[in-house]
Amino acid sequence: MQIGFYFDQTRCTGCYTCVVACKDWHDVPAGPASWRRVLTIEEGKFPDVFVAWLATSCYHCAQPACVAACPAGAITKRKRDGIVLVDQAKCLGKDKCDLCLQSCPYGAPQFGAEKNAKMQMCNLCFDRLKEGKKPICVAGCPMRALDAGPIDELRAQYGDKTEAVAFTYSTDLKPSVIFKPKLRKSLVGGKR
Amino acid sequence: MATAEKAYYVGTDMNCGGACLLKVHVKDGVITRLETDDGDEPQLRNCLRCRAYRQRVYAPDRLLYPLKRVGERGEGKFKRISWDEALETVASQYKRVKETYGPAATIYLTTGGDIGQVHNTRTAVRVFCLAGGCTLMWGVASNEGWMFACQATYGYPTGNDHRDLPNSKLAILWGMNPAVIIDGCGTAYHLALAREKGTKFIVVDPRYTDTAALVADRWIPIRPGTDAAAMIAMAYVMITEDLYDKAFIKKYTVGFDKFKEYVLGKEDGVPKTPKWAEAITGVPTQDIVELAREYATTKPAALLPSKAPGRTAFGEQYHRAAFTLAAMTGNIGKIGGSAGSEITQRGEIPFAMGPAMKTGGNPVDAGSPLRRDALPTPISKGPGLVARLHNSEVWNAILEGKVGGYYSDYKMVYVANANYLNQYPNVNKAVKALKSLEFIAVQEQFMTPTAKFADIILPTCTFLERNDAVWGAGPHVAYQPKVIEPLGESRSHLAICEGLAKKLGISGYNDKTDEEWLEQIMKPCVSDFERFKETGVKKFYQPPTIPFKKEIEDIENNPFPTPSGRIEIFSQQMADMNNPLMPPIPKYIESWESRNDPLAKKYPIQLLSTHPKRRSHSQFDNIPWLRELEPQAIMLNTKDAKARGVRDGDLVRVFNERGEVTIQARVTERIIPGVADLPEGAWYQPDKNGVDHGGCANVLTVDRRSPGGAFTNNSCLVQVEKA
Repeated sequence: MQIGFYFDQTRCTGCYTCVVACKDWHDVPAGPASWRRVLTIEEGKFPDVFVAWLATSCYHCAQPACVAACPAGAITKRKRDGIVLVDQAKCLGKDKCDLCLQSCPYGAPQFGAEKNAKMQMCNLCFDRLKEGKKPICVAGCPMRALDAGPIDELRAQYGDKTEAVAFTYSTDLKPSVIFKPKLRKSLVGGKR
Repeated sequence: MATAEKAYYVGTDMNCGGACLLKVHVKDGVITRLETDDGDEPQLRNCLRCRAYRQRVYAPDRLLYPLKRVGERGEGKFKRISWDEALETVASQYKRVKETYGPAATIYLTTGGDIGQVHNTRTAVRVFCLAGGCTLMWGVASNEGWMFACQATYGYPTGNDHRDLPNSKLAILWGMNPAVIIDGCGTAYHLALAREKGTKFIVVDPRYTDTAALVADRWIPIRPGTDAAAMIAMAYVMITEDLYDKAFIKKYTVGFDKFKEYVLGKEDGVPKTPKWAEAITGVPTQDIVELAREYATTKPAALLPSKAPGRTAFGEQYHRAAFTLAAMTGNIGKIGGSAGSEITQRGEIPFAMGPAMKTGGNPVDAGSPLRRDALPTPISKGPGLVARLHNSEVWNAILEGKVGGYYSDYKMVYVANANYLNQYPNVNKAVKALKSLEFIAVQEQFMTPTAKFADIILPTCTFLERNDAVWGAGPHVAYQPKVIEPLGESRSHLAICEGLAKKLGISGYNDKTDEEWLEQIMKPCVSDFERFKETGVKKFYQPPTIPFKKEIEDIENNPFPTPSGRIEIFSQQMADMNNPLMPPIPKYIESWESRNDPLAKKYPIQLLSTHPKRRSHSQFDNIPWLRELEPQAIMLNTKDAKARGVRDGDLVRVFNERGEVTIQARVTERIIPGVADLPEGAWYQPDKNGVDHGGCANVLTVDRRSPGGAFTNNSCLVQVEKA
């Protein structure tokens, strides 16, 4: 079984609620480490512009590059639900090694500002999943733009699109995520 | 002994109109982490601001002890003192000022920060009323122009319910950005639901806002301060193309003919054509024509103009014009329509929620003559009293007093729930005014730019440290249980005011605990108070409220509470004021500091100060989890930036005669050229030359009210240069 995310890009307003809720729940201080992030995409020329956001985190890939890249065996993928977890006690620390970060096309591995910071990243709120709750970002999104659960069930509910603005699906890693992508359209109806 | 973790549902009461629901986990008297509403839909989900509230409660800059100033005003040097000394000082200063200069010499300044039903501004107003009176204010910074226009046109203010949005075939969002502002828990979510159900959205706004990015099928950029001109030209199209609802106009309105004469140019020789409006607004003629046709022919359609375009010189005209268009299209009182008001509806709560405590009447108000240029409003009698000061003119009043024509000389201010210096126009004048006073007391949670000017600081606890309740757009009422003890020596509003009342020798100030007050307020709506306390929220599942439905369904038995009983497109009350700047029909009047003002040669950029994404006004500006998300920055169009050699992220100087700010530039295609946006609420951080490095927009704004009382923050010219 593989747990994954669904993201409705058409609903995201870039409000960062998921980012802050995650930092609070997991007690991540202000600083460079942010398990969940929001990217802003702005395209076009005034007045025909296009704006989208990508709320992104670790996608708990079916074939995670970070697991293979870690020389210390600190990153593992759980068999029972496919969640990718890091054992900070084994992590060599950023001053010595950042191979996981280099290997990940989605920028998922995060490091705090402290000296030789150990890697940290989204753990899909496995503590909450165990209690039958959704991850804190999903449960908190004011736009109901996020969901999480067994990826087969998400596909059955939302379809199987793997593209979104500012996201590239890696067929090697097979990130566990599906999208409702935002479509580019003209705001001026071709009259200008 | 360690105790088990417990979770409480708590309604929030930041100054955003949200009243969303937090689930607060507490262990051993300490807040450990937060969730949001996990009950039935519609869930009242918090936004990023309240999700960071734990950092706000435990912020290192929380004010935890009463303080006395030891440095210069504004310098921020204080010494810890006892509550007894702090309250004694405030009480004796008030008595001294009252005896020397009269009760009006003390001004009570407040806004909407951290206000519940029990702990709110009235707690302190009651103290001063019972102690002999004080000067109170009028002029709501958010929407006084809208309230004035509602009063003149409909007889009372009301707006749409966001749950009605999916019933609209077309929605025109005019300057409205709930994705950032919140403005009723879940409003942006309801916009998305409407779009998914097929509502078409047209956004008229100088900026391509986050809300526009969410829903807009079309974006019509418009120059600030010119909205009424675009609307009046839309009326021209509807009249000349015979697209308006004559039956509705005849049955429900008065004075349309006078408006029609003005629109067609019979009054002043200027037909208000789309071409006329294009020159003013920057909106192409064809766009105005199409917008008018689409609005007039799509039924039902909701025109939803927000507060911001009304925060301009003569902003009242924009609201009056919008109401007139809503009447001309017959959308008022209809499901899926609108009255040309924005989304303000919080549902019909089946009881009168409202600040619990009676003020007891202010002797200064009681002795005041009446002003002739005000409309009587059910919300506040303030606008009608000469003794009241308009919130945007308080600094002038302090500096000039009776000599300047004001009602009194002013010597003391008591500030509560408000970062006043930061959040009202013309900060540099505010600094001068505050320095000139004999005494300043500030009731605060943080060392804000305002608190730095205090002689005495009274530390106030947050809403998680006292008992209260709030109501919101669910519609719902939410409990605010005290989940932790007040930090340090901070106290609740009620406790502070009780202490002050005692020092002033007032008996009978208060005979109830906050819990007893709550039970009294909630009883009519919550049959089982104990159960309400446990669940923390009561949601009212009722159909969306349609503004003015009862008047439209049966106008004979439910007339509008206006002098004519009808929707007053022409207002005799305003005609009687005989002020060309407050005309009886909606007119376009060019604002001061428009792009045609001679000042524009020196200061060619029109400055907006919109709501910030990571603050609720100035609340939360100091919270690290929020600060790191986006830097405070001025939004500049690429063309304007290029002409100034400014690149994204560069520091720029933003300045006019009133002040100067140095801040980062955010260069973007998402704003109309010639306009910049510096989101309000960033804390003022002056250097030794008085240049602000915090990015406080009010360093630049004009402290002059519109004739009907609208704030005019968005009528502001500046120059921008690379720093």
